[in-house]
Amino acid sequence: MKLLFVGICIALGFVRITCAEPAPTPQDERTPKEEPAPPEQKSSVVRVNSTNQTFDFFRPWSKLAPFSRRGLGAVIDGGKILVTAELVASSNYIELEKSDGGEKSIATVDVIDYEANLATLTVADPKFFENLQPLKTTTEVKTGDTLSVLQMESNGTPVSTKALVTSVEVGRYAIEDSGYLMFRLSCPLQFRENSFTLPIVKDDKLAAFLMRYDSRSQTVDAIAGPVIEHFLSAAAQVPYKGFPRAGLVFSPTRDPQLRRYLKLQDSDGGVYINQVDRNGPAAKSGIQEGDILLAIDDKQVDPDGNYLHPIYGKLSITHLTTTEAYPGQKVVMTILRNGARQKISVELFRRSVADYVVEPYSVGQPPKYYILGGLVFQELTRQYLREWGNNWLKDAPQRLVYYDRFQSELFPEKRKIVFLSQILPTRDTVGYEQISNLVVKRLNGRKILDLAQFAEAAAHPVAGYHKIEFEDDPHQIYLDAGQVEQDAAELQKIYSLPALQRL
Amino acid sequence: MTRCLVLAAFLLVSHAFAQTPKVLDIRKSLVRITTTSQEPDYKVPWNPGSISGGVGAGFVIDGERILTNAHVVSNARFIVVEREDDSQRYPAVVQFVGHDCDLAVLHVLDKSFFQNTRPLGFGGIPAIESPVSVYGYPIGGERLSVTRGIISRIDFQTYTHSGIDSHLTVQIDAAINPGNSGGPVMQDGKVVGVAFQGYSGEVAQNVGYMIPTPVIRRFLKDIVGGRYDGYVDLSITYFKLLNTAERHALGLPDNEQGVMVSSVSSEGSSAGKLRQGDVLLSIDDHPIASDGFVQLDGERVDMSEIVERKFKGDQVKFDVWRDKTSLVVQVPLQGNWPYLIQANHYDSPPRFVLFGGLVFQPLSKNFMDAYQVDDLRLRYFYDFFITDEIYQEHPEVIVLSNILPDPVNAYLTDLRFQVVDQINSHKIRTLDDVARAFAEKSDYYVIRFVGSVRPAVLERSAVEQARNRILANYNVQNEQYVDGSVIR
Repeated sequence: MKLLFVGICIALGFVRITCAEPAPTPQDERTPKEEPAPPEQKSSVVRVNSTNQTFDFFRPWSKLAPFSRRGLGAVIDGGKILVTAELVASSNYIELEKSDGGEKSIATVDVIDYEANLATLTVADPKFFENLQPLKTTTEVKTGDTLSVLQMESNGTPVSTKALVTSVEVGRYAIEDSGYLMFRLSCPLQFRENSFTLPIVKDDKLAAFLMRYDSRSQTVDAIAGPVIEHFLSAAAQVPYKGFPRAGLVFSPTRDPQLRRYLKLQDSDGGVYINQVDRNGPAAKSGIQEGDILLAIDDKQVDPDGNYLHPIYGKLSITHLTTTEAYPGQKVVMTILRNGARQKISVELFRRSVADYVVEPYSVGQPPKYYILGGLVFQELTRQYLREWGNNWLKDAPQRLVYYDRFQSELFPEKRKIVFLSQILPTRDTVGYEQISNLVVKRLNGRKILDLAQFAEAAAHPVAGYHKIEFEDDPHQIYLDAGQVEQDAAELQKIYSLPALQRL
Repeated sequence: MTRCLVLAAFLLVSHAFAQTPKVLDIRKSLVRITTTSQEPDYKVPWNPGSISGGVGAGFVIDGERILTNAHVVSNARFIVVEREDDSQRYPAVVQFVGHDCDLAVLHVLDKSFFQNTRPLGFGGIPAIESPVSVYGYPIGGERLSVTRGIISRIDFQTYTHSGIDSHLTVQIDAAINPGNSGGPVMQDGKVVGVAFQGYSGEVAQNVGYMIPTPVIRRFLKDIVGGRYDGYVDLSITYFKLLNTAERHALGLPDNEQGVMVSSVSSEGSSAGKLRQGDVLLSIDDHPIASDGFVQLDGERVDMSEIVERKFKGDQVKFDVWRDKTSLVVQVPLQGNWPYLIQANHYDSPPRFVLFGGLVFQPLSKNFMDAYQVDDLRLRYFYDFFITDEIYQEHPEVIVLSNILPDPVNAYLTDLRFQVVDQINSHKIRTLDDVARAFAEKSDYYVIRFVGSVRPAVLERSAVEQARNRILANYNVQNEQYVDGSVIR
């Protein structure tokens, strides 16, 4: 599989453009498009070498082998470096390197937003910024513009490649649940050692950040300038508030039969709201499934869910409630319900990853676990499911995959899914060897909605036994509480477990 | 695993090195069966299906009948039988078929077929390591063939013909190949099994399976009443009680006896009789070991074997340990229809309703095999149909399985593989409900799906305009087939 681009990356939520092979660009075609960068730019980018290490969700007490990623960061105002979040996700050690002379400095992550795929780095040594020129940002990019993708030769020589903006749309970022404004560029890039993440400039201003590159079609998906500006503006405040979302899913109303049934005029446009996140902004403001969304503020919504953006033209209305808005801000949604128009003010806010029943990403957070007598209990996360590999949707336990995919529909209450992930065999677990990946309903008669409740219930065995009840066969098992306690130290020693729990 | 098991569709056995009298004997009993069958096409359910042919074996049993495998004659349109010593070919029909045990009885219209034949009698379960001979018409030639081997193992195995039923099975090391199916496995002049499946050589060497005589006798007894009722089932799952703490917590002694009921299907025999958490101590007075085995006829076998030999309406008696008290529970036995959606289905056309170019079909094993569905909700409905008792709300899971593109449905393509929940005001529980809802006159047909999915809306006028156009364009012979539901 030569899918240099999205394929491998979906599984981890990371995008690699460096790994497999150089872009198959013929020399003669590439050369004329590359030119030495103007001198100012030389001092606006730095190499970023990040050593990252992720947790092993199958053995939640361990980390997997460390690996390194390299990319270019943009020097911005305030003594910060801007990079993509995936470059420095789960980083243990970040090293910056200047293009001229290779002077190095250590950096740490200042603010990181995995959904918007951006991060700022703080540099340990302020003197590192001498001879570096911060880049201003720009949002004045439209389809048809030519931008420059910045790269660096291994000897530090800057290289700039022209890239044509072919489309501007709301597209999927590194985390599959999030979509933001994205530029698609056509550009013949040659593989270089620092191609993981690259700044893209227009008139010496930072216009976008390369996030994915497909070498076959020679297309770049780039984080758009407005997203960068939104992130930087939010990052300037403490605490970081990030990007809001409306918390609804819509479908087009192009079908004339559907429009007639809904009594929609052709001039109305409008989209059908088929899902409203239960505790999201739209739900809290009273938007319901089945409502027709006609307008957001003064922007008319067309039957496909687009509005007319002054620069980009037709653009998904998602942009209005994410990048264009800030948490706490209100938008007025005009809806049609039972044939009547209503205006509903919706206060937008951010949905924190911790608010999901099954967290869609777990970058940088150690997985929680609780080991009881050799039975390993965890909270379900999508990262756990992804450990089954690229085919995880089919290979991972199907109940868990189903719970993840349909979580907003299945679980009205705020909760997590606690499940028995595996068994570390001991004398306490004889007869239980074959069971795994079972969702816990109750422990010692108490309903379990997260791992903290599980730990609490584990402190209260009934009549000397832990009774664990599952959603699937065998539905109930028991452990001898006294024996489990007595064997705990031995269990920890045999399997070299640093701790029997992390909550 | 079941995928590797190959049905040995056609085979006959004779001893290559057998003594003359034995060969003569089998020639009077062995039958070569040639079947022309038509496989239904679940993706184009109105099509009669592709026609194919095959050869298998069978043998004469008492009452001028021929016993063979169900899979030799499944979906048959025309069957001919012939004998080694008779040049004539005789048309035959299926009299009884048990898809759950892969056995069938054929009836030959022309009685002269049975002149000079000798019905074979049945023996018991042969001993491990004892020799057997397998007769049939396997690939490699036209005439009867015999292979020899010994009994390797006696165990429960999935019968791949239905794909969901497990019965007692005897493994032999004689070669069993396509064409052996339905042929007798002989020992001391008696049938000890019917050859029916094996592993292909790529998976395992010399692993063939035969249906042993307890299963055959049960089938022959079941059909005495003129109808095949099929296997009965406890419809429970149980958990082996091997953990000391679990035994103590349940109040059981360390005597290695008893298994715990982990689930009880609410449509099955044990509903209302057994409960989750019950400990089954004995079955029909046979003590149940903590691994679920019982002693039966001197053999250690899975406790299911007790129920395997029973019939619809029979009872089974359990000594039960419930809430630390013992009691006796009688369970009247019956089948369990929800299992059937996960079983291969034969001998009747696919069920469907076509409306406005939208094809609606109930979820089934054949459906999943045909469409290779990736849709997560559909896979959940299929996989968890029994465990999560999805049949309570959806006795049939009705899927918008296909869309025949036409202007009437131009904007509905993204709704493929959604599960239908409601049409207009009607809750949809079965395919019949779909047919009825569309038969009602209404200006709009609003189809709602399970989950947060937008509805599909069809205007009656648009559907009526499109109707003949779709039928003609897509060569649709029937707009629906709703008979043959498995729901009881």
